[in-house]
Amino acid sequence: MLEVDHLNKVYDSHGRRVEAIGDLTFTVPEGQFACVVGPSGCGKTTLLRTLAGLLPPTSGEVQVLRRRVTEPPAGLAVVFQEYGRSLFPWLRVRDNVELPLRAQRIAKARRRELADEALAAVGLAGTGSAYPWQLSGGMQQRVAIARAIAYQPRVLLMDEPFAAVDAQTRADLEDLIRSVWQRLGVTLLFVTHDIDEAVYLGQRVVILSAAPTRVADDLDIDLPADRDQLTTRADPRFTELRSRVYAQIQKVKADPPGKEG
Amino acid sequence: MTLLRRTLLALGLPVLLVAVWWWASAGSTDFYRPALSTILAAFADTWTWDRVRADVLPSLARLAAGYLLALTGGVALGVLIGGNRHVRAFLEPLLEFLRAIPPPVLVPVFILLSGVGDRTKVLVIAFGCVWPILLNTVEGVRGRDEVLSDTCRTYRIGGGLRLWHLLLRSASPRIVTGARQALAIALIVMVISEMIAADNGLGFAVLQFQRGFQIPAMWSGVLLLGLIGVLLAWGFRWAERRMLGWYYGQRAGRREW
Amino acid sequence: MTRATAGARAAPALLGLLGLAVFALVFEVAPRLGVVPADYAPPTSRVLAAAGEQVGRPAFWAALADTLLTWGTGLGIAVVAGVGAGVLIGAVPFLRAATATTVEFLRPIPSVALIPLVIVLYGSTIRSTVVLVVYAAFWQVLVQVLYGVADLDPVARDTARSYRLGRRLQLRYLLWPTALPYVLTGIRLAAAVALILAVTGELVIGSPGLGKEIDLAQQGGAVPAVYALILVTGLLGVLANVGLRVLERHVLAWHPSSRREVTPS
Repeated sequence: MLEVDHLNKVYDSHGRRVEAIGDLTFTVPEGQFACVVGPSGCGKTTLLRTLAGLLPPTSGEVQVLRRRVTEPPAGLAVVFQEYGRSLFPWLRVRDNVELPLRAQRIAKARRRELADEALAAVGLAGTGSAYPWQLSGGMQQRVAIARAIAYQPRVLLMDEPFAAVDAQTRADLEDLIRSVWQRLGVTLLFVTHDIDEAVYLGQRVVILSAAPTRVADDLDIDLPADRDQLTTRADPRFTELRSRVYAQIQKVKADPPGKEG
Repeated sequence: MTLLRRTLLALGLPVLLVAVWWWASAGSTDFYRPALSTILAAFADTWTWDRVRADVLPSLARLAAGYLLALTGGVALGVLIGGNRHVRAFLEPLLEFLRAIPPPVLVPVFILLSGVGDRTKVLVIAFGCVWPILLNTVEGVRGRDEVLSDTCRTYRIGGGLRLWHLLLRSASPRIVTGARQALAIALIVMVISEMIAADNGLGFAVLQFQRGFQIPAMWSGVLLLGLIGVLLAWGFRWAERRMLGWYYGQRAGRREW
Repeated sequence: MTRATAGARAAPALLGLLGLAVFALVFEVAPRLGVVPADYAPPTSRVLAAAGEQVGRPAFWAALADTLLTWGTGLGIAVVAGVGAGVLIGAVPFLRAATATTVEFLRPIPSVALIPLVIVLYGSTIRSTVVLVVYAAFWQVLVQVLYGVADLDPVARDTARSYRLGRRLQLRYLLWPTALPYVLTGIRLAAAVALILAVTGELVIGSPGLGKEIDLAQQGGAVPAVYALILVTGLLGVLANVGLRVLERHVLAWHPSSRREVTPS
């Protein structure tokens, strides 16, 4: 599970002080699929990097699996937006998937098994010996997802993972993520700027305000667990929820929170 | 047809140039500019197996030793310096200065410090050619992709795996660039060190021919030095293509988008 | 936090100076402690004193002028020839294909191999050393120019073609601006190589200049002077490099690909 407790993050560079995250508190219970949306520049990526232990908070704290985060926590995997840059171009697809397992000193046979399973799960069985740059963008992101799956994390963070792929691929990848989450039972925090995507994917949508960021709204997505690009998106409830999120975001964009930070 | 055309294009000019040299120098009476045929005959006479063993192999051995020393030292130091901002800031101006010293002028100094033996030559070759390797490694390690660094951190990839798969492989295109420049410098320093202080080696032999007015032999030595330079450069390119296959593939792929 | 970042910005320069100071200090102390023989590795203070003496000698300034002359002449010829040949070869596909192997063969020939040749042909003159400098620097310029011309944006070329720009206009507004950053990189690389060869030529051939002064000082046993002169050649190299970098930034301030440099060749 994930706990964000009065998180505050201030960037101080070149003498300019920017408060990216004002005061953020929320909890994602074990096994939940939570989406985080917000207007652009609202510190979504900052939040994710803090959760991943890549960035120390200015004040407040973050807990992953009931441990305070001071460095990248064990049992947590991240899928970055920049798939082209998060895969090692000098390693073949399979070696990319296996590298984190090698760092964990998992035996070779077991590594191979896990990598094969993960690649099959994302529909990439048989591409293990290709180099990442020989694949299309969507396929590269699948490799990054396979790497996360093979790592068998208990918490999975995704930072706008589909922002840079085309619409068709994106729909496929969304369904892939839903099925991965259902199968693995991980706690999943999915950051996106796309409202439709957030509502379609999550069990819950956390809406952030503009910087300095707070939680503007927190919405349960009571759509059925079995989702489908065609029927779910045509569901009146889906339309209703997405309108609510949309209205919220317009509202936080129109009147940013007070500057009392 | 295209193969024929390509062969003609590749070989046409070199053949033409050699032919022009051959004809223009044929029957030359100029003592200092002998006919190409004379030079080639001298080449066969001069560079016998004994001579190769006495002069060429020692040269190449010193070159290899100095170059490998520079390569390992430069990469190791470069990773250390490139990985740490403060060390980098501390050493940068000093390294810029040391790099700017023309390496051959260090030959007299190294002779003072460690005599005229092989050790001096190996050291001076290494010291002369380490800078491009070192500075390029620093830049390469520093310029590693942030997303890739973050990936290593989140997946808790550290130690040797990180050193090899993140730092060294990220830096490898730059390291190769530096190593290529270093090879050219190493060859220069090798020749110079042998011209200034040696009793064997290619540089020594060629200068001896010049001083003894064995002009065709001297020309053949110049040819041999050139040939070695070319062979080393080609060997390097072959190795580079093998090691950086991923890099060229990735770049070619990017250009297509 | 604010104080820390303000400090962090000034820190690199200070750290760098500190690095130079520590280096100087080590070379001051090591000979005095007998870690290295003081006769062969004189302490920094004596090297600096020797440098002061050099500055007072007219012969030093004459040698410096000769080195600059050799360097400048060789570099000038190499740049003009390299750019001219590069643009010509690069712009005509047939020439490019026909010269590729020749360039690949001639470029790696170490210019110092020519030393005995130029000695017998021109003696211990500046001309000998200039030939070495030109040979070494020419390839640096040529190869960079060839990269530059090859980097021509195909869309820009097609645009120029479809608007029926003539050859001269294409050269002026398409080829030259594309190749310019590469030309400047080539000049910077060539300047460094040219300095190495200028001093080397003087050292080995005995043509007048700083290299010859180093040789004379060494033969005369004036060890601190050897180090002082080496210091000067290093400073010369740093100045050239920094100067050309500044020039590059100045000339290319407008250029979108300003900071690009060819890494692998």
